[in-house]
Parts: sequence; structure tokens; C-alpha cells
Amino acid sequence: MTYKDYKRPGVEPIWCLGCGLHVVFTQLSNLFDELEMEPIVLSGIGCTGRTAGYFNLDTVHGLHGRIIPLAEGVKRARKDKEVIVVSGDGDLLSIGGNHLLHTSRRDINMTVICVNNSVYGLTGGQLSPTTPKGAKTKTTPGGSEIEPIDAQKILMSNKRYFYARTTPVHVKYMKEVIKQAIEWDGFAFVEIISLCLETIGKTMGLKKPSKMYNWLEENFRIVENKQVLDDFELGVVKNG
Amino acid sequence: MKKILQGNEAIGLGAIKAGLKFYSGYPITPSSEIMHYLANQDIEFVQTEDELAAVNMAIGASLGGMKSMTSTSGPGFSLMQESIGFAHKIEVPLVIVNVQRVGPSTGMPTMPSQGDISQARYGSHGDYFPIVFYPNSVEECFKYTIEAFNASEESLSPIILLSDAFLSHLYETVDIESINFKIKQRHLKPLGDEKRHFTGLLSKGGIPQTRNSDLYKKWIQKMKEKIEKTSKNYEFFEYIENKDSDTLLIAFGITSRIISPLKENYSIFRPIRLFPILEEKLKEVAEKHKKIVVIEMNEGQYKNEIERVLERKINLIKQTGGSLSLRQIKRELDDI
Ligand SMILES: Cc1ncc(C[n+]2csc(CCOP(=O)(O)OP(=O)(O)O)c2C)c(N)n1
Repeated sequence: MTYKDYKRPGVEPIWCLGCGLHVVFTQLSNLFDELEMEPIVLSGIGCTGRTAGYFNLDTVHGLHGRIIPLAEGVKRARKDKEVIVVSGDGDLLSIGGNHLLHTSRRDINMTVICVNNSVYGLTGGQLSPTTPKGAKTKTTPGGSEIEPIDAQKILMSNKRYFYARTTPVHVKYMKEVIKQAIEWDGFAFVEIISLCLETIGKTMGLKKPSKMYNWLEENFRIVENKQVLDDFELGVVKNG
Repeated sequence: MKKILQGNEAIGLGAIKAGLKFYSGYPITPSSEIMHYLANQDIEFVQTEDELAAVNMAIGASLGGMKSMTSTSGPGFSLMQESIGFAHKIEVPLVIVNVQRVGPSTGMPTMPSQGDISQARYGSHGDYFPIVFYPNSVEECFKYTIEAFNASEESLSPIILLSDAFLSHLYETVDIESINFKIKQRHLKPLGDEKRHFTGLLSKGGIPQTRNSDLYKKWIQKMKEKIEKTSKNYEFFEYIENKDSDTLLIAFGITSRIISPLKENYSIFRPIRLFPILEEKLKEVAEKHKKIVVIEMNEGQYKNEIERVLERKINLIKQTGGSLSLRQIKRELDDI
């Protein structure tokens, strides 16, 4: 098998040209190939939510916000299989936030990859729980007045946790931390920061993919051995 | 051997006999004894954070190869509605028990009602064709839980098993060993080793076809036919004819127990499969009677269904607010 065999034939991604989701999908395929694994991949609803359906594996495209409990059910029935969720920040942290709290607390052995594009992408760029304070979106024309959610701290409210943050520009690092997450014996959460080009990217002047990628590269840096990641720091925090 | 069992326990026991391997649920009166019972069984059991998680986890476990169930009451059943449509769409077997209490909202949490008949049929969005059973004794709670699992495996759809606070809390002696039942095995391959895509999107062979109206029409027709075909193996009802009466009483669940003495003076039809409606049988028995009276614990939810199917005027005797009175029912019958 090569990484290309992980792509479901007969379907093309709906994602915009240059969107970070293409990178995430390709690198996940590479990683599965390298690790010679055929996981069960599941997604919720959104642009990111389309990810599961592009893998030529047994996959599930669930309801908006409900993919974590569905995946937990799958894992409980198939303890022998790797279970990987790929979904958006709105899906996992807003409408599905309660399930993240509790499945992570139950420490179910699965990996959740959250592609955080700072908005609700599929529905046209509304405020999401990760939208930075001050950012203009369709539903915050005057700029958001609230601080974004910190997924890291949600995970850290548990006794055992694994949280990693990366971007699609830091390709090697992204692959490395996803690998660590898959190997982690328990609930592992990986946040991939990748701005939505068409919406918040546009308002931030980063509509061109190269500009967005440069911005990610310039603003984020990899740190090691930190207890807690600050904003704009990429790394792994874990306890267990 | 005879045993004293509660309605809710009989549902739990029936599920185990049917091959239940996974249960997820969120506590709610008057359904909680089902989960208490199952917490003590050798199955995968999760008390979830809410009913949204409960139903989705049960869907996931079922996809993973385990016969699965969740149970709740009206408010939790409302939270599950989006997922019920999803389960129909991706064709996953599942049993959902709704022990009805008086609503809307928190209403009268410990009191029985039959207020979720419409919700059981139409609660999710879009068109779909659910199979709904409603037993009326502790023994039947056991039996029709098993049938619900069988129907779910056969139709690859979520089956709704209705009960009510009265029936679920009833204690009766049951001789479990004397009950005959068959068990349908799983034929859906567990998630993990194939290359399928289970999606809520209209799709063909795992590939989304979200603007293909012709495909949708074919698909919905197929769904309808699938449920109709399965339903033929689950034509559950009871009919007691009284040749001296020109009036047919229709009741189900606990209400049918309360009116059972009326068989001396009236014919009684009791659907056990509420949906799809037992149309042919209903038409056949309706023809023999001048008057038809539906007795139910709501404002006429099933009466409206019967009226639609039979295309004639149907009388309603409603028993609402959690109270059931045979005397009041008799009085109203005298007036009809
Ligand atoms: C119950 C429900 N509410 C609302 C929607 C509409 N909806 C679809 S995707 C989405 C937001 C997706 O945002 P996110 O999870 O961040 O994913 P992205 O598209 O940005 O990748 C919303 C609100 C829906 N499908 N279901």
C-alpha cells in the first residue's frame, strides 16, 4: 500500500484550493502508510467533517457535534482497532463541547484531531469558539468581544491528558505529534491551527495560501518541555 | 419458574436475552430502572453525560458490532430525535426505549402518559418510517424488547419501544422459561475491516450525491419498502370481538389494560405495533363496527392517525394529566 491508496476512489475533496485540510489529509495518509495501519476514521459536520469520507477505510460522517460519543461507542465495541476523529473547532468545541469534556475524562483510547480554522467554515464564516478576540466574522461585524476557548485547558482539567498543538506548515512536526497521539494510551487531542482562507483569512489579509502559510510560520514556534503552551506556541503537553 | 418482575426490569432482561452487548443511557424517571438493571449485567455499560451522547454512543457501538440499546423518557427522547433520523439514514440497528411521562417539559415526571406517540412517529426531521412497539404487561415488556431487537436487525433501523410510567413500574409474575422467542443474529459486518462510508449525506456507494433529486426519490422509496417488508414479520396486535357490540374500542399500552373489563360490552382492538399502522387489520375490524372510540392518554395523537387511515369519524376519550379512570371512561362511552 502507498499513501495514495488511502484515498477513497471516485470522490474529490470539496476544500478550497490551498486550504490546510489538504495538507492534513495527505499527511494523515502518509502516516497511516508509514505505520501500516488501517484505522477507523470518523468526522462530524463541517469542511473538516468531510475528512473521514475521503479515506478508503471504514469511515463515519456523523452528526454535528456528536462524533466523539459515536467514536467512543465504536471504540468500546472494537477495542482492537485504532479510532481517529478528525473534525472542526465548531464541531468539537462548541456544539460538541460537552462530549469532549466527558469522553476525555473517561480517557477512552482514541485520537481526536481538531482542525481549528478560527471560524465556522462550511456555513460561511461565522464566529466560532476559537475566533480570536477582535476578529471580524459574519456574525461579529464589529469584531468579536469575547476571548476564545482554550482547548488545551479543557484537556488539562483531567488527571491524565495528552494535548498537542501544531499547524499544517510545520509538516514534519504535525506528523510527529499525531503519531505520538495515536501511540498515547488514552484520550489524545491534537489541535491543528489553519486559518480558513475564504473567510477570516480574507478579513485578515491572508486569503492567498502562501500568505496564510507564511503567517503561520512566522507567528508560531515549536517549544519543548513546557507544562502549559502559551498562545502561538506549538508543542505537546501531557500527563499520565 | 415464576418470577416477580417490574416492567422496566423485564425490558432489561429481554434485552439481555436478545443478545444486548452495549447499553448507554442518561438517568431519567420513569425509565431509570432499566439502566439500574443493566448496570449489573455483564455488558459494556456507560452512563453518559447526556442523551445526545447516549444515543450516538449506542449507534457507534452498534456499528462496531454490538447489539445496542438506550432508554429514556420524553425529554431525553426529544434530545435523541436528530440522531434517530441519522440512524435511519445510515441504516444501523438499535433499540430505543421511551418510558412516557406527562409533558411537555418537565411536566409531571412520575406520572404516566402516552404523549409521545406522535414524537415516536414524526419526531426527527425529514421523512422516515419508524417501527414502534408498545407492550401492555410485564411479560410483554420482555417479549417485545426481544422483538424490537429482531426487527432492528432485520430492518437495519432504530426501533422505538414505548412504555409508560404505569407499565414500567408495574410488578407482575412472569414465567420467563415458558416464553418462546427466536433471536435474529447480526449480519451487518462490524465497522473496521471494510471500506464503507456511513454518512448522513445522500450518497451512493459512499460517495455524496447531495444534489441528485432522482437518487433521493429512489432512496426514500427503498427505505419505505424496506420497513414495509420487515413490518410484515411483526404484525403484533390483539383483537377481541364482541358480536353484540357495534362499537370498537382502540387502546394500547397501560390504557388497554385498564379498559380490559369493557370487553363484556364492546369489541377491543389493541395495536402492539403502533407504527407502521396496521392498516389492513384496522380496516377489516373497523368495517364490522358502526362506532370507533380511541382511548389514549393524550389529546388525540393516535386517534388522528386512525382517522386518517380509516377516513371516517373517530371518537376520542382522553385520559390526561397522569390519571386513568375506568369509571370516567365508562361514563363517556355511555354519552357516545
Ligand atoms: C445541528 C446542526 N446545526 C447546525 C448545522 C450547520 N453547520 C454545518 S457545519 C457548521 C459549522 C462547522 O464549523 P466547524 O466545526 O468549525 O468546521 P469547519 O467547517 O470550519 O471545518 C454548522 C453550524 C448542522 N449541520 N447541524
